[in-house]
Amino acid sequence: MIGTIFDIKEFSLHDGPGARTTVFFKGCPLRCRWCHNPEGLKAESELMIKRSLCRHCGRCLQPCEHPECEPYERCIHACPHGLIQVSGEKYGVEELAEILMRHVDYFRRCGGGVTFSGGEPLMQSQFLLELARKLDCHVALQTSGYADKDVFQAVVGEMDFVMFDIKLADRQQHMTYTGVFNDRILANLDFLRRSGTDFLIRTPLIPGITDTEENLDAIQRIVGGDPWETLPYNPMAGAKYPMLGMHYALQDRKS
Amino acid sequence: MDRALYELIQKKKHHMYRRELSVSLDFAGKPPEERMAMRFEKLCEAETPVILPGEEICYLRTISRIPDIFSEAEWQEIRKTKYIHELGYMSNVSPDYESVIRDGLLKRREAADEYGRRAIDAIFGLADRYRDEAVKQGRRDIAKTLERVPRYGATSFREALQFFRILHFSLWLEGNYHITVGRFDQYMFPYLQADMEKGLYTEESALSLLEDFFLSFNRDSDLYPGVQQGDNGQSMVLGGMDSEGNDAFNLLSKLCLQASEDLKMIDPKINLRVSHNTPLEIYEMGTRLTRAGLGFPQYSNDDAVIEGLTDLGYDLQDARDYVVAACWEFIIPKVGADIANIAALSFPKIVDTCLHRKLAVCHTFEDFMAAVRQEIHEECGRICSSIQNVWFIPSPLLRLCMGEIRYRNEGIHGTGIATAADSLYAIQKYVYGHEIEPDAFLDMIDSDFEHHGEWLPKLRYETEKMGNDVDDVDTIAVELLDDFADALAGRKNDRGGIFRGGTGSAMYYLWHADEIGASPDGRRKGEAFGANYSPSLFAKTKGPFSLIKSFVKPNLKRVINGGPLTLEFHSSMFTDEACIQKVAQLVKTYIDLGGHQLQLNAVNADVLRDAQQHPEDHQQLVVRIWGWSAYFVELDKEYQDHVLQRTEYTI
Repeated sequence: MIGTIFDIKEFSLHDGPGARTTVFFKGCPLRCRWCHNPEGLKAESELMIKRSLCRHCGRCLQPCEHPECEPYERCIHACPHGLIQVSGEKYGVEELAEILMRHVDYFRRCGGGVTFSGGEPLMQSQFLLELARKLDCHVALQTSGYADKDVFQAVVGEMDFVMFDIKLADRQQHMTYTGVFNDRILANLDFLRRSGTDFLIRTPLIPGITDTEENLDAIQRIVGGDPWETLPYNPMAGAKYPMLGMHYALQDRKS
Repeated sequence: MDRALYELIQKKKHHMYRRELSVSLDFAGKPPEERMAMRFEKLCEAETPVILPGEEICYLRTISRIPDIFSEAEWQEIRKTKYIHELGYMSNVSPDYESVIRDGLLKRREAADEYGRRAIDAIFGLADRYRDEAVKQGRRDIAKTLERVPRYGATSFREALQFFRILHFSLWLEGNYHITVGRFDQYMFPYLQADMEKGLYTEESALSLLEDFFLSFNRDSDLYPGVQQGDNGQSMVLGGMDSEGNDAFNLLSKLCLQASEDLKMIDPKINLRVSHNTPLEIYEMGTRLTRAGLGFPQYSNDDAVIEGLTDLGYDLQDARDYVVAACWEFIIPKVGADIANIAALSFPKIVDTCLHRKLAVCHTFEDFMAAVRQEIHEECGRICSSIQNVWFIPSPLLRLCMGEIRYRNEGIHGTGIATAADSLYAIQKYVYGHEIEPDAFLDMIDSDFEHHGEWLPKLRYETEKMGNDVDDVDTIAVELLDDFADALAGRKNDRGGIFRGGTGSAMYYLWHADEIGASPDGRRKGEAFGANYSPSLFAKTKGPFSLIKSFVKPNLKRVINGGPLTLEFHSSMFTDEACIQKVAQLVKTYIDLGGHQLQLNAVNADVLRDAQQHPEDHQQLVVRIWGWSAYFVELDKEYQDHVLQRTEYTI
């Protein structure tokens, strides 16, 4: 089983209890306009290029013989300034588990563990399930909640903690700003509540979109007495878009 | 502490009292000690007592420049036969404040020689004029303190603080520099404790007085000699074990951490001694100070340091009393006259030399490493034998403030360990792995990657580096540091001491980098090494867990001259108490795993870049350089750029 991972971040402090290692799964079914990890959207590997620092020496455009460069029409090993990076590395389950378990001693000392994030980890649910079963430590999931209910239930069954996003309460607005309706998400939330797994509902505060009084009141009604936290808007959210040749939809918005 | 006083110092308004020495000194034909005594007397006489509004602890330097006791021609003559270290004074020492403050200078005077007595009398003269000025200004409290100290031993916390200030002020005025503060929380605590028992202070009022006192370190420090502004050696050491091995962290240790966090000034520079027994709570206090962005506390591990020092021959009780010199070198207060920064070994230069002389003749990597080992031994031999006839300008006052000297060891920094380990790994992998011919490899390095340029990204970005917990690379660093320790073991200096190696770099991370061209790790000609015990500047590290694991692998007790691992954290990592606890736990892990010394920075590269563009908006922005903190805008650009470069890969 092979998974596509776009980052592994040691010592993440905001992704669950203790200091953790966060694994970022590539691919997401949502297209939130404010997404601050745009390299997590596409399921396939892609190039991130720090174009603003490029001195146009042209070395990456010269033909090379590396098979791994074929999909990109440029050589990924040639940049003398290290500006080209492949986002989305392939890992086997065993290989990734071994990398993550190297720091299990640290997790045990300070009550940390591994968090699966993305992208949407549930897009690679089979890989996620196999990986989670191999990790002998606290495991947590950050999810949009947008997945088939069988997939969702199977994964939740393997987790110690789930961070579950409710971004917009209104069905139509959810479609407008994320590209999908929220019916599946709310249904999965119902299951999560009954599952017995510890969870936390999270809402990113996007100026003028999710942080409206109307939306937050409506989410409060969905949340009821369950644990809920809001996440401040990241003003640097748009920074990675140019590296992917993408346009940031909220570019001109004042934060 | 008085708020207006704080602002006056912060805005440097006290500089208005400064002037040049108006009398000239005729040193002709006089011996050095006489010159020192003369100069000190004249300076004390020329000083104008200034009592700033609202201050409790007084003394302000008003003579800005101290004239040299030797002319340039005389220095040239001296250097013909003597080894002169830096400016020629005994520096990087920690005086015996404890007994001087306890006994008073009158008692010290009884045992002093003529020059010592003259120095003490000069101190009394200035103290009396300060007292008169206090009376004139109606400051009975200050006058009363000065009736007691510095003649007699301190009987209260305030007297003890004022006494310290007078001593410290006088030692610098004598011309000495890098006079450290030592174990302040140990020798000062009995005074505070006694006063608190008498009901004279609450924690709050003690903190207020302490903050007033801390300001005194920031009044004259821009006049102190150093490589850059901020390099002034005012290191304070807190916590750790006492000479019997008991935990000695006390209320004053805590108040000092608090005072430093409140003031957000670069002095005194806080060092926190910890061990595997230190509770997380103390690390959390330290982390809150880190969050303030001053680049300290710097942590040192009693478990590693004390054993390392006793292995070198230091007495256990002395080793337990260790303090930190101006930057990070471990020295013994009162009885230590080590020259902890006398020279430096450049690991990348060793590799470079072997690359050019031995690559063609060594047929296996093991042979090549043997050549590296031999070169380290030879280079250490050259360094040690070049240090002969060290001579210090005699400092009568400093001598009076030290105990009987027991240690005269000499410390050698070890620069660029990661650059060297990464380079050797690349040589092993590609040259001895037969991916490239030795001639081509050398041609590539010598041409600064103009030839075989396709290798540059591979070496620089795609080859494993120290700092990622990769054994194949890290074990090379282990070997290099062991070789360094072996190469110094058994060598004696001509002052009756030994040599000891360390992991610090001081400013050599720039200087040594200029001595060689490109290096096999993909470092281009002209690029700096990492400062102290750090990954190379362009190494992509996986994160702090891996970094720590890499850097605890070497046998750090054997290179205990000091030199910290540095971790850079983005300032947003310290948002709440939960994060403070997590960072504190990380520090504790490094110590528990046997790390010797650690220094953390809370930095924000965007702010630093803005400060380069608009220095006027960032007057108070503090960064850590190699072993001390400085105001960013006061640094030369090459130092600013190095700070920026290392934050590019902020964890």
